[in-house]
Amino acid sequence: MSGHVKNMCPQLTISQAARTLLSLLLVAAIDSVSAGVVCRKQPCGSSLQRSLKLTKLIHKESVDLLKTYKLSQGDMSELFCQMSINNVPDPNISGLDPSERMLSIYSHCKAFLPHLKRVTEQQTDLQPPSSSLLSKLSTAHNRTNGLANQINCIYQTLFPNLPIPPEPVDGPTSVPPSQNVFQQKVYGCVVLKRFKEFLSRVTRELRTLKSQVCTRRTTFADTNALF
Amino acid sequence: MLSLLCLMLFVPRVFSSSTLAGIFPQDPALRMGSSLTATCTVSPERGLHANTMYWTMNGKRLPSSTYDLLSPNCLSVTLHHLNGSQQQSGDNLVCHSGDGHVLAGSCLYVGMPPEKPVNLTCWSRNTKDLSCKWTPGGRGETFIKTKYTLKYKLRWYGRERECEDYSTGQRYTCYIPRDLALFTPYEIWVEASNQLGTATSDVITLDILDVVTTDPPDNVHVSRVGELEDQLTVHWGSPPALKDFLFQAKYQIRYRLEDSTEWKVVDDVGNQTSCRLAGLRAGTVYFVQVRCNPVGIYGSRKAGIWSDWSHPSAASTPHSERLQSGSCEPKPGEQNSTLRRELKQFFGWVRKHAYGCSGMSIKLYDQWRVWLQKSHKTRNQVGCRLLGMATPNIPSYKPLRINETTGTSNEREENPTLDSDTLSLTLKRAPAVC
Repeated sequence: MSGHVKNMCPQLTISQAARTLLSLLLVAAIDSVSAGVVCRKQPCGSSLQRSLKLTKLIHKESVDLLKTYKLSQGDMSELFCQMSINNVPDPNISGLDPSERMLSIYSHCKAFLPHLKRVTEQQTDLQPPSSSLLSKLSTAHNRTNGLANQINCIYQTLFPNLPIPPEPVDGPTSVPPSQNVFQQKVYGCVVLKRFKEFLSRVTRELRTLKSQVCTRRTTFADTNALF
Repeated sequence: MLSLLCLMLFVPRVFSSSTLAGIFPQDPALRMGSSLTATCTVSPERGLHANTMYWTMNGKRLPSSTYDLLSPNCLSVTLHHLNGSQQQSGDNLVCHSGDGHVLAGSCLYVGMPPEKPVNLTCWSRNTKDLSCKWTPGGRGETFIKTKYTLKYKLRWYGRERECEDYSTGQRYTCYIPRDLALFTPYEIWVEASNQLGTATSDVITLDILDVVTTDPPDNVHVSRVGELEDQLTVHWGSPPALKDFLFQAKYQIRYRLEDSTEWKVVDDVGNQTSCRLAGLRAGTVYFVQVRCNPVGIYGSRKAGIWSDWSHPSAASTPHSERLQSGSCEPKPGEQNSTLRRELKQFFGWVRKHAYGCSGMSIKLYDQWRVWLQKSHKTRNQVGCRLLGMATPNIPSYKPLRINETTGTSNEREENPTLDSDTLSLTLKRAPAVC
């Protein structure tokens, strides 16, 4: 064995260790990512507080959005909102424990997104381009997407051992097939009405979760610190 | 025919599981003034009889005289002389059950086919782009969604292209941001289409260089002309964006009083970058704006298009030393009683010793002050009263020189002597007459 070969061995070892370390770091990074979202671990209270503020904002805007929508459809559109339509997400949050309820919030946010998008597309054909309804719908969609990502991150932080199930591609709340104009008006009204109600429930739920989950974690951490 | 229609729609598969009712026709497009007969058919499973149903249009209940009971499950309504749609999303024609629930709906689009768009005009900002605007040819087309497409092509060659940016914030406008040829005429037109028809505007032909506008002049400064009360001078910069384009700019100025909405326009400014405004009111704030027209860019024969007005610049003319002619009395409502009293005394003195108030000046006031002090001093010392001071031939604006001569306390004041060239008043101490 030449001296050259002998000298190379320590460098190989270091390089191997570096690669191993890099691989471990990469795995850790990938593990913290779900559905393309990179979550930074943040204090429980402030994350939930931010999500709560965002929810309140979207809820407030959804009230105005529904009002603008009704005005844009013509008189008597109030009745449209009361008609029953299948396949529109219901506004209720389900689950018994905090993890299930948080997961329900996340799933509902994701479920509403394609419906908001469909309503936007339909109203783009029905309204003049300058209609404020179109920009409000777009804002609602973007903010709800942001909220879903936030809830996703909080869930992963609080419940790292509970995976988030994959989103259904064609489930019970997928968007309906093509509709005539009257059906579109009714559909949009029902979607936005349920969306508004959902956000109202999310606001209450996040307040409860914040007091339940973040307090419990703080107590547990304090107890651990004693040992 | 309508009964057959109701029967056809009775097939259960037509109905959605949620409504089990349907209206025919769905989403029709109709001309204003036309008539429509629509039918509402319910599934027998609903257990409803058609004679309990009713119709609404945009929330307003339609009279039952317009209904026709075609079958136990089918009710029609006939509408005459339809007006233009109330909203672009369509009028809501709705069929209700007797208790008010919505059974089915159909959206009506009532309008007119478009007429050819008119008043198509275009302009280019600094030869870089092209904006165009037009007006709908008819009113009827505005009730329903009418699409306008601006098209353009080079006159003698080139393919037809469509303008894509209609979102400039104003309706009936389109913006072409780049890739425009110069020295070559374009043909431009607008095509309008809706569910009832299509129409095309007249074609306009233009060279970009003939429709150029530019940014308003920058650095507009307004300042006084020395102490001249009725003049202001305005300076501005020529448009920088066109500095390489060989053109002759012409300018326009407009100005107004601060509290007025009426502008005065100065049209004959030419291509200078400064101007003096005259005939203005003294002691007054003026707002001034300037705009530019790039004439004959690269030898174009046509004038360009006036720019927007510059941001307003303001300046005030100097105050006049002359008081307003008219009454010399102090203005009513004077708050300061001391000032008022003094003014009264001053005006009284001026009336007596000068030619009324036409020769009013601050200098005269100062002279009165001096006289007042001296006479007060004299009065205090020897208690004299000046008599016979008013002489009608005291000219105005002449310096008033007050001389004092000493005399015994018993000496009467004689009439003051006056120099013809100066207002020279000789005071002689007189005995107190107070």
